[in-house]
Amino acid sequence: MHPFDRRSFLKSVSAAAGASILSVAPARAAAPKARVVVVGGGFGGATAAKYLRLLDPGIEVTLIERGKLYTSCPLSNEVISGERSIKTLQSGYGGLAARGVKVVHDEVTQIDPVKKVVSTAAAGDFPYDALVMAPGVDFDYSAVGGLSAELAETRLPHAWKAGPQTLLLQKQLQAMPDGGRFIIAVPKGPFRCPPGPYERAAQVAMYCKHHGKKKAKILILDANDGFSKRPLFEQAWKALYGYGEGGMIEWVSGVNGGQVEQVDVSGMSVMTTFEQHKGDVINIIPPHRAGKIARDAGLANFKGAWCAVKPESMESTAHKDIYVVGDSCVGGELATGNPFPKSAHMANSQAKVVVASLVAKLNGLPPPVPIYTNSCYSVVGHDWGFSVVALFRVENNQWVYVKDGSGISPVTFGTKEKPVPVPRIYRKMEAEYADGWLRNLMADCYA
Amino acid sequence: MRNTLLALILAGRAGTAAARGNIEVLARTCNSCHGVGGVSAGATMPSIGGLPRDYLSNIMKQWKYDERSAITMNRIVKGLSNDEIDALAAYFAQQPWVPVPQKANPETLARGKTEVDNNCADCHGASGGDPDVDAPPLNGQWARYMELELQKYQSKEFKMPHRKMRKAAQQAKPADASAAARHFGAQGR
Repeated sequence: MHPFDRRSFLKSVSAAAGASILSVAPARAAAPKARVVVVGGGFGGATAAKYLRLLDPGIEVTLIERGKLYTSCPLSNEVISGERSIKTLQSGYGGLAARGVKVVHDEVTQIDPVKKVVSTAAAGDFPYDALVMAPGVDFDYSAVGGLSAELAETRLPHAWKAGPQTLLLQKQLQAMPDGGRFIIAVPKGPFRCPPGPYERAAQVAMYCKHHGKKKAKILILDANDGFSKRPLFEQAWKALYGYGEGGMIEWVSGVNGGQVEQVDVSGMSVMTTFEQHKGDVINIIPPHRAGKIARDAGLANFKGAWCAVKPESMESTAHKDIYVVGDSCVGGELATGNPFPKSAHMANSQAKVVVASLVAKLNGLPPPVPIYTNSCYSVVGHDWGFSVVALFRVENNQWVYVKDGSGISPVTFGTKEKPVPVPRIYRKMEAEYADGWLRNLMADCYA
Repeated sequence: MRNTLLALILAGRAGTAAARGNIEVLARTCNSCHGVGGVSAGATMPSIGGLPRDYLSNIMKQWKYDERSAITMNRIVKGLSNDEIDALAAYFAQQPWVPVPQKANPETLARGKTEVDNNCADCHGASGGDPDVDAPPLNGQWARYMELELQKYQSKEFKMPHRKMRKAAQQAKPADASAAARHFGAQGR
């Protein structure tokens, strides 16, 4: 075990045991081994900050994040349906501070990749030896005519960043009359949480089914022609809520005119390429791109929207000593249609790759072998959940999607010719695993 | 000559250190769902730090080769080599077992204790903290995880290869199995 690993291991154990049975030698008061600044305190940024301190307390870590309370997007669709309190999805930054991360709540105004300085609105400048960028996504409201950031906060919540908009959408759903129509507009990919819109449709349907709105309709207007975990969603929608003709949930693909181009908030309707749809609740998820601060820093060198990074370390291909993790980066096997999903676990995993690589580099050790994992649970009913997992390795400086080690929950058992239904107990258990998964993921990032 | 030898030794050491470092990198991917050091923070996900090495390596290989049913882990482990599985098993076996004692009501605990004494203690120990070599410790393991795992043993829909455990679980009434899980979950060191 490397000395810094051993220390950190002991520290983690004592923290996990909830008792400080071991005293950890604090980093010497002398100059730190290196100064690392992390911009953004979501899943990716928090993981980077925590694991840097865990693996090498000699590194000074500053996390700059404007919010004081983080709300998990994963499982936040359950808040919309009233199945979960938003409090169960929230974490502050005390856990990171206790690990020696300097947490600064401020707005980053500028990044100078040449002078290697991060500037903030109020707290001044932060010089860095390495910078971890985890700014998440920005929403491109201009892509839908009539939509604006202000409308998203008042009348047309996207609720694609969990928080006040999640609760606003919940209220709108509760106020929707029986027989009302709930429209979910899905942007062209890539977007954060690929299965999210379809899980949301199920959660909304579940709410309606159990709250006297059995005649409600959920219309998914999709700019894409396919979606994540599709066979699993369609199976569940059909079994639980009715899907397609006469069912509660309807899905319109991009090729069939699902792309929403215009919204009229006074008439509560949307225009697609083909026709107008009226809705009692209109939930437009705008197209995404890398967070503004990353684009302003010149990091969004992939299609002008996303930040390209190196497979072995997640270092930006645009600027040296800047690492980009989470929803704003692009990676994975793009050519074969297996990109990194924009998920919480993926951000967590990417951040661990950055930390392993950075700590090795700063300590003069050989670069470690990176490995990337993902898991993501969707809950579509009280006792119906399923998941997807993914594994990526790096070979010859390229990402390799490892097919064995990846995939969705089984859709059917039996053979292709003679399929048999997957027993309900499997779906029931995955709905329960979803909660344990989220709690561990939050703890792995913030505790 | 002496310098060459020294260089070789150092290179060998660096190689071993790198290999160990890489296993730690791999093991950290498990933390996302099983906690740092394998101490879980979620009631439906088991703690895995401090479980016996052979138990961990067997169970992962059984999932990998579809000899044992799982819902998520069977997919994940198929991407790992047997060497990686063995190394992960050894890594987590070296971590301390950290019980997370959970509260339960006294009646459930009493009922659970009776069930454990009759049906579980032989292999796992009365508190779950003194298991046989091939059995996992259960003291302070997450009760809800154990309940779900017992449901897998009781259901005909899961392939669970451990004969003795299967028989023990199927002998128990669901409420007794659940109480046993609560009893173990309530135990500390």
